[in-house]
Amino acid sequence: MSGTGTLGTALLVATLAVPLALLLACLSRRLRNNMPALLVLAPLPGLAAALLALGGMPLAFDQPQLGISLALDVPGALLLGVAALLWSVTGAYAFTDLRGKTNAARFSVCWLLTLTGSLGVFIVADLLGFYLFFALASLPAYGLIVHDDDDPAARRAGGVYMAFTVLSEAFLLLGFVLLAAGESHGSLQIRDVVAALPQSPWRDAALVFTVAGFALKIGTVPAHGWMPLTYAAAPIPAASVLSGAGVKAGVIGLIRFLPFDTAMPGAGEMLVVLGFFSAFYGVAIGITQANPKTVLAYSSVSQMGVIAAVLGMGLAAGDHSVALDTAFYAATHVLAKGALFLAVGVTAVTAARRLRPTLLLAAVLALGLGGLPLTGGALAKLAVKAPLGDGVVGLLANLSAVATTLLMLHFLQCLARTAAHEQQAPAGLAVPWQAMALASVAVPWLLYPFAGGNVADALALAALFDALWPVLIGAALALALRRWQNRLPPIPAGDIVEPAERAFSASYAVGSAMERADGWLRQWPAAGLSLLAIAVVLGAATLFGS
Amino acid sequence: MLAMALALATTGGGYLLVLAVIVPVIGMLLSLVVGGRHAERIAFALMPAGLGLALAIAIEVWVTGQPLVYILGGWPPPLGIALRADGFSAVMLVTAALVIAAAGYFARGGFATPPGVAEKRAPLAFWTLLQGLWAALAVVFLGGDLFNLYVALELLTFAAVPLVCLDGRPETLAAALRYLLFALFGSVLYLLGAALLYGTYGTLDIVLLADRTAAEPLVAPAVGFAAGLMTAGLLAKTALFPLHLWLPPAHANAPPPASAVLSALVVKASFFLIVRLWFDVMPGLASAAVTTLLAALGAAAILFGSVLALRQARLKLLIAYSTVAQIGYLFLMFPLAIGGHPWSAEAWSGGVMQTLSHAFAKAAMFLAAGVVYEQLGHDRIAELRGIGRAMPMAIFAFGLGGLSLMGLPPSGGFAAKWLLMQASVESGQWAWAVVMLVGGLLAGGYVYRVVAPALDRATVALKAPASRRREAVALALALGAVLLGFAPPEFFDLLQIGRPVAMAALR
Repeated sequence: MSGTGTLGTALLVATLAVPLALLLACLSRRLRNNMPALLVLAPLPGLAAALLALGGMPLAFDQPQLGISLALDVPGALLLGVAALLWSVTGAYAFTDLRGKTNAARFSVCWLLTLTGSLGVFIVADLLGFYLFFALASLPAYGLIVHDDDDPAARRAGGVYMAFTVLSEAFLLLGFVLLAAGESHGSLQIRDVVAALPQSPWRDAALVFTVAGFALKIGTVPAHGWMPLTYAAAPIPAASVLSGAGVKAGVIGLIRFLPFDTAMPGAGEMLVVLGFFSAFYGVAIGITQANPKTVLAYSSVSQMGVIAAVLGMGLAAGDHSVALDTAFYAATHVLAKGALFLAVGVTAVTAARRLRPTLLLAAVLALGLGGLPLTGGALAKLAVKAPLGDGVVGLLANLSAVATTLLMLHFLQCLARTAAHEQQAPAGLAVPWQAMALASVAVPWLLYPFAGGNVADALALAALFDALWPVLIGAALALALRRWQNRLPPIPAGDIVEPAERAFSASYAVGSAMERADGWLRQWPAAGLSLLAIAVVLGAATLFGS
Repeated sequence: MLAMALALATTGGGYLLVLAVIVPVIGMLLSLVVGGRHAERIAFALMPAGLGLALAIAIEVWVTGQPLVYILGGWPPPLGIALRADGFSAVMLVTAALVIAAAGYFARGGFATPPGVAEKRAPLAFWTLLQGLWAALAVVFLGGDLFNLYVALELLTFAAVPLVCLDGRPETLAAALRYLLFALFGSVLYLLGAALLYGTYGTLDIVLLADRTAAEPLVAPAVGFAAGLMTAGLLAKTALFPLHLWLPPAHANAPPPASAVLSALVVKASFFLIVRLWFDVMPGLASAAVTTLLAALGAAAILFGSVLALRQARLKLLIAYSTVAQIGYLFLMFPLAIGGHPWSAEAWSGGVMQTLSHAFAKAAMFLAAGVVYEQLGHDRIAELRGIGRAMPMAIFAFGLGGLSLMGLPPSGGFAAKWLLMQASVESGQWAWAVVMLVGGLLAGGYVYRVVAPALDRATVALKAPASRRREAVALALALGAVLLGFAPPEFFDLLQIGRPVAMAALR
């Protein structure tokens, strides 16, 4: 093994070991209180590992005795790299944001736990490890969302988030059990269980439960309700990393676990339908919202829908290249969405008259999501053009770009309204935001060749026009929206969460019925009868059962 | 026949089994004789020895790959009595030694004889009973004879019941009486069943009985009813739904270290005997009807126990109902692990893993609840906001224990659920997998109810200063539940040693 191989292995291990070491350091009160200053460092080994892997070095670390198996391929490296970058820059933002706040130490601990899981899912190669890191990327985020315990909205959002998260874990557990059961040699490596999936007797069930688990994580309609509540309630740095990096745990899950080597038209088409439904639904609800954070959340619902649709096309066609295409698409989303949340935070402490540079930069990123030419978003649209094709699906994709443009212009309008009166954003907030914004413009161009793209194609006149017209139509629609905005029905953030909560409250009746039944069963006569009945039935079952 | 001959002769290291029983018995008797403050000292002196013996037995079983046997007095059964330790007994012994040591260390100070007083009732009773309970557990895990096991069960009940009402409050006395009465019903049924078996086969030795039941083509009516009576009796002592009337008040009102031991170990002892009965004594009679019935009761326990846990207003009652639910998981192992199917081994490992991880997790949670009660003077869940800051280790311990109950990695609870679900899928028995998932979700709910407000930043009025030592004990147990999630393959090999089907393959 060469020197770089050893270095690569060391970096893979350090990707997890460094945040875990910082977590251990949190046991000391003094270090814990100073931890916000170190958050910026925690993801750096992951960034280095990603760069090394993109440099052509396939990284792997396999320790079956310890039950750990790590590997980094190009799709994983794309996502790991940008996620690590976002975690690091937002860590710097969080350092300033947390200064003087009471729960800073708890926030740091939850931050490091979530970070470990969020980076871990991109590099882990075995089933149980993936489940572990997926849980780590999801559950401790509760402490990031409910940063202000006295805020009832945050507590409600935290509760809803936990309900969705635990449900997602349950679906995934069943899905993974089915995946493992389908692999006849007892291997728990992800690539082995996925390779065995098409022949598995539990193929359909395994696919349904695994996809359901990930769909809950990426907020595919109707499992999207937690996103608007959560991102609106969470502090800015938390919303930034969760919407940028955290959600991608679900994306990498779909990339890793869908069996692209075998064409599955039925399953694939279902995913396409679900994806595009989310893509348009997210925009339709998003334009009724006034809080810029909520609007961004609905945009995430929409964008994750597009990713699901692309993956569905790949599954339907048995085309493995969508793994790389969607990884690139998701990577640009990590950067743009993460940066836009920082923009929301910076705007809130910037006076309206100083707001122009911030708004301009935010506009570039926001319209980039709609595919504005020369932005990372345009490259992302180009990367997924081939799998989507030129037919109806391709048209739907273009329409979703139109819709996203509309939503993003609405976002910019909402954003401008939140400016402060007389203030200037402290450098500790402004600099990370600007750095992240620049990264989300520049980094996609650097990564595009690794995703199999050709930069020259992206600059061709036809490509520029293809990217431009949806944006122009979207802009025209935005003007129309501006005129009729007040006619839109008021829809609460999280739309279907409220009815779901009511239904959940109604289920309490079941609980109280069970409580009454329990009270009755725990009376002496009932318990005595049960005991005798069980003895007789068991005896009879023994006699006549065999 | 070779295996049977082996099981009827003392093996190397067999003397360890005798020591494992004798050490706590001596401790209990000595405590009664010398009394006063010495009881606590004797208990602490013997705990490391007991743990060492348990570990030595586990290592011996693992190294030899065979169950350990000791024939008392050299008289082979059916005349004499045998002690036997397979993989399951060995890990249960170790778990019992660890949990009892932790509970004892936790109780230190709480059950200390005050200076200047020669003897006080509660401390003397606590330390003597704790050792009696430990001795009874050792016999349950090692006993090779159904009558012997009956005696052990009685000793266990008589040690456990007074632990519930040590402080003598009226409600604890009521709870203890309820427990005693129902456990006695269970004992009567068990004894009746054992008598029927003895009448039919002329022996109560497990290995001999197994041989004789297997040799008969038809089930005698007496044997069928014996199985039903003995199992029902043991179910009453295990508090499997709907026979759980005594468990919530008893476990919720006992002093915390006693609750921990009762929930972690005592209910497992009668469960252990049900496993012995159906897997060792009469594996041939465990028809699908029997195993499905047991698992269906288990499934009902999971749903009822978890929902009831969600609705409790007091922390200790919540934990007690969670025990009702977690006992249910144990019984899912019956339809999955019986027989020599490809999935039986994983289901067996899963069931044992659930037994162990629940023991650690639940003991940790009860001790954590004890810390909460001690410092707040109450355990009303609605008033737990902000306690995480006052007693961080206790809440962390509760959370880690909860992680294991929910079946999230890394934890023994996850490993158990994974194995049991794997077996239920492979055997086509989907329903159990779904129940396990729902149980996990509900567990998430009741853990969240406690942990989320505890982590809030709010000021709480503390009645007593924090005892970091006690919090650390709870945390250590919770870490034990987590560590089980990292068990290497060799550990699962150990669990398989002596598993009836695995032995049948050897014959």
